[in-house]
Order: sequence, then C-alpha cells, then structure tokens
Amino acid sequence: MAKAAFCLVLALLSFPAFAQRLQGELDCKPTKTDFIYDCKVKLSRNGQPLSGAQVTVGADMPSMPMAHNVKPVKAKAGKAPGEYEAMLDLEMLGEWAVKLRLAGPVKDQLILLYEFDEKGARPVRRGDKPPRK
Amino acid sequence: MDDYTVGVLTNIGLISFIALSAYLLIIAGEMSFGQQGFFGVGAYTAGVATAMYGIPLPVAAGLAMGAGAAAAFLVGLPTLRLRGLYFAMATLAAAEMLRILFELLHFQRDIDGEPVGPDGTQGFRGIRWVFENGVEPAGYLALVWGMLAAVIVLFLLVERSRLGATLRMLGEDPELARMLGVHVERFKLGVAAVAGALAALGGALYAHHNTYIEPRNFDIMLGVHSLAYALIGGLGTVFGPLLGVLVDIGVLEGSRVFQGYRMIVFGGLVAILLIFRPRGLLDERVVNWLKRRFA
Repeated sequence: MAKAAFCLVLALLSFPAFAQRLQGELDCKPTKTDFIYDCKVKLSRNGQPLSGAQVTVGADMPSMPMAHNVKPVKAKAGKAPGEYEAMLDLEMLGEWAVKLRLAGPVKDQLILLYEFDEKGARPVRRGDKPPRK
Repeated sequence: MDDYTVGVLTNIGLISFIALSAYLLIIAGEMSFGQQGFFGVGAYTAGVATAMYGIPLPVAAGLAMGAGAAAAFLVGLPTLRLRGLYFAMATLAAAEMLRILFELLHFQRDIDGEPVGPDGTQGFRGIRWVFENGVEPAGYLALVWGMLAAVIVLFLLVERSRLGATLRMLGEDPELARMLGVHVERFKLGVAAVAGALAALGGALYAHHNTYIEPRNFDIMLGVHSLAYALIGGLGTVFGPLLGVLVDIGVLEGSRVFQGYRMIVFGGLVAILLIFRPRGLLDERVVNWLKRRFA
C-alpha cells in the first residue's frame, strides 16, 4: 500500500502539468514618462513562490492582436521570493494582455489581463466571474 | 535574433495568413470584412484539439483548416448571392455572429485538476502545445514562415495556371466569366472556402503562439486590418498583402516612430492609397512592369 502511494506521488510530481501549474500577479505603477510602467510580478507554482525563473515580460492588446509589438523586457529578481521587476513600455493606455514568458527550470507562458491607466494597472474583470490568474 | 525581432517577424507571418485570405477574395471580386471570424474558428478549433484532447499541432491545424473552410462555405452560401457593399456588410455580420458565439461558448474539460477550454468572455487559456513540446520562439518563427512560404508557392502556382486566370477574370468581369462557361457561384463558394481555410490556419498558429485567445481577438479591427493590408500592398501579386503587413507591422509599428499615433498614420495611409493607387502599391501595372524588366 505504502509502495503504491509512493509510486503515485512520484508519478504526480513527475507529470509536467502538475509540476508547472503557474499563477501570476502584477503590480504596476506609472512612471514620469507616458506609458512606461514600473511593474512587480509575483509568480507562484502550486501555491509556492517561484524564484529563479528567467522571466521575459511582453504585452499585446486583445482588441488588436498582433498589431502591437511591445518590446519584451527581461525581468530582474525582486526582493521577495517569487517576485520579479520590470519596466514595461506600452504604446497606449487600455487593456493589455501581459505575457510572462518563463525560461530556465520552468518553460511556460502566462497571460495576465490588465487595464492600464494613468494611476497604474488593475486586473480586467469580465462578467460576474473573478479573473483567473 | 533577439526576442523582439523574433516576435515582430512571427506577428508579421501570422497576420499575413489573414491578409492573404482577404486578398484571395478581393481578386475573386468580393470584399469580405469577415475573415477574422474564420481566423477565430481556426484558433478555437486548434486550441480545443491540442489543449483538451492532446492532438498534435499539425493535425489540429488540419482540423482548423477544415472547420474554417466549412464555416466559410456555410457563410458563403447565403452571402455570395449579394454584391459589393451588401456582401461586405453580410460578412461583417457573420463574423460578429461568430464572435458572439465564442462569447457564449463554455466548453471545458478537467485536465490534471484544472478546467481547460473556452470559457466565454473569460477566454481560453492554456494552449500550451508549443511549450509542452519544447518549441523555442525561433523554431516557431521558422514553422510559421515555412507554412507561409508553402502558401505563397501555392498562390504563385495558381496565379500562373488556368485556375488563376479564371479567378482574375471572375474578379474583373463575372458576366464574361459566366459566358465563357465558368460556374460563377460555385467557383466563388470554393474560393470563399479556401480563403476561410487559410484564415483558420493563421488562427491556429496564432492561438499556439499566444497560448491564450478570447473572443475580442476576433473583432472587426482584425478584419479591417486584413483588408487594408491587401489594399495597401497591392492586388497585382501575392506579395502585395505581405508588403502591406510589412509596412504596418514592420515599419510603422516596428520602428515605433509614431507611437500611439500609428493608427492615425495607418488610416491616413490607407485613405491616400485608395485615392491615388486604388489597387495598392504592387498593382497589376507595376507587377507587369516588373515582370517585363526582370523576366
């Protein structure tokens, strides 16, 4: 029985989808320059902060897909575990799909929908459902 | 190549599919404002196939093309009876209907404890085939441009064939084509289905590049852009729409000279070109001149 449980846990841990379930959160503040935001990205995997990843932050506008090419920037490791920092240079205010491309131990891409305005950025809420991170 | 260049080139390649789809219909004499709907059908079909059922991307792309062609055929059945502005409006209405259908589509499966699939306006996340199969951005760029090159070669072969001549004749003078024995309605329906398949292929590749799609991706902006690319670049050759994409995404957007004013510049460029060069930069006259000069 114990051997079977051990095998099951081992199998679950080795399954990439389980090992790489990611969540992300964004906290962006406007800078003195128009459309440039100072962003903190918080990443977690299975509820635990994800540190040591190589994170590239890009963005695209959902209403105009492929029409904007925001220059992706490599995020620096932040002060807290699982935290990263990047300056995001957008082209205009509005709703952006922020793309977090992860390399290194975890290879994945996370899309976070945020509304950017003069005050900063807030998660986009559609309908009555809370946004999925 | 850095990430930015790879990203710009991938976007140019992806949007070229829908621009070519619009171009194909224009040379057949119809201006569709609805190709973004089939782009969306392709994106959703391929996304569902790979993310929910574990089907490999090449097969999923084939399924997407089939779905796109079927959707375009069904839309074409009633709309191709219309002409000019009425056809344009009908295709726009059809695309909006498809977008609203995507908004109403809630079809998810529990995969590894997580719901995966289209979730209405919340979008469709986790289309991760590319990441699960270790395809790097440069590799995906090569895949997109390889597919695009194959499509361009097909276009060039068709344009030099009897089929291509029939297509252009249909666009220039459908009555003449009818008198010469072409079944105009059937032919246009076939063209619409192929254009739908082409847009859907672009959509399938886009969904896997982005890993996330939502109904808003497929609204009128994408349709207007695809038409504008064909009209700016020119209707004389298959390279016309690609030139249009290159001017907008590559030069105007890539250089970021105009920043937030780019759309105004782009709109002005379309207006000026429609006045002075209604069939675009690479129109039939320029293409014939180039052929004479370099042939």
